[in-house]
Amino acid sequence: MAIGEGRRTQLLRGALDLCLLAVMEEGPAYGYEMTKRLRARGLSTVGEGSIYPLLGRLEREGLVETYRAASNGGPPRKYYRPSAEGRRALAAGVAEWRAARDALDAVLGPVEAEVAA
Amino acid sequence: MNPFVEECRREWKRLGVPDPVANEMAADLEVDLAEAEADGSSAEEVLGTAAFDAPSFAAAWAAERGVVPRATETVRTRRRVPRAEVAIAGFALVAIIGALLLLTAQASSQTRVALPAPIHVWKPVPMPVPVGARGLVSSSSDLGARIAGAVLLIVGLVGTVLATVFAVLDRPWRRPAAAG
Repeated sequence: MAIGEGRRTQLLRGALDLCLLAVMEEGPAYGYEMTKRLRARGLSTVGEGSIYPLLGRLEREGLVETYRAASNGGPPRKYYRPSAEGRRALAAGVAEWRAARDALDAVLGPVEAEVAA
Repeated sequence: MNPFVEECRREWKRLGVPDPVANEMAADLEVDLAEAEADGSSAEEVLGTAAFDAPSFAAAWAAERGVVPRATETVRTRRRVPRAEVAIAGFALVAIIGALLLLTAQASSQTRVALPAPIHVWKPVPMPVPVGARGLVSSSSDLGARIAGAVLLIVGLVGTVLATVFAVLDRPWRRPAAAG
């Protein structure tokens, strides 16, 4: 794996739980639906690993609530939505992310670099 | 059933995941993969790199859900450390016993050497050995034994200290693995 891809993977892995909470905050979603929402924003989970273990952890930690419902007449799916604690964790996580991003921008922003095509 | 899901099921069974939980995870995964396939997406696009390693994926998912103990790594660490402690403690014990034997033997031989040798021991007395020379030979071997004993004693004591340090450091590792 190239160095750039490795860094991207590390960065996204550290924020993937927040991304999941964010996309389910838009509306309850089942596993694959969340993958599609992430992909629609240009966030592919291919290099970042599966979201399922992460959903399992969010569920175990009480950050999400789940229920079963049929989707478009199909088989029942497990839908996830943030719990009250999950919403608090999302708010705190987003604040942390923004602080980290701003600090990194302050260091890396002034660097003039050109990415070779 | 999807071969990937089937492989996951086997792993969950092997890990002792309760059937209702395994059924639920398998069903969710199956319908998600089927929908992805209908969308023209590959399993890799849904599962990431986990698509190539069903057992690891299944084990990680079950562990994150908290339905199986969290990883073999913790178990391995727990087992390895006491073994190291026992090995070091055993080695230290052997070294200390060896040191004591050497030093005791040296002390008693030193006592014997200090006594004047009875004449009949040397019979038929082939050649008279000067007392000073005998004392020199005897002192040299005593010195070697004393040094060896001291070294063993030091090694034993260091081993005891190390085993104690490891035992103390080991305590946090024996706590249940943190969630998450």
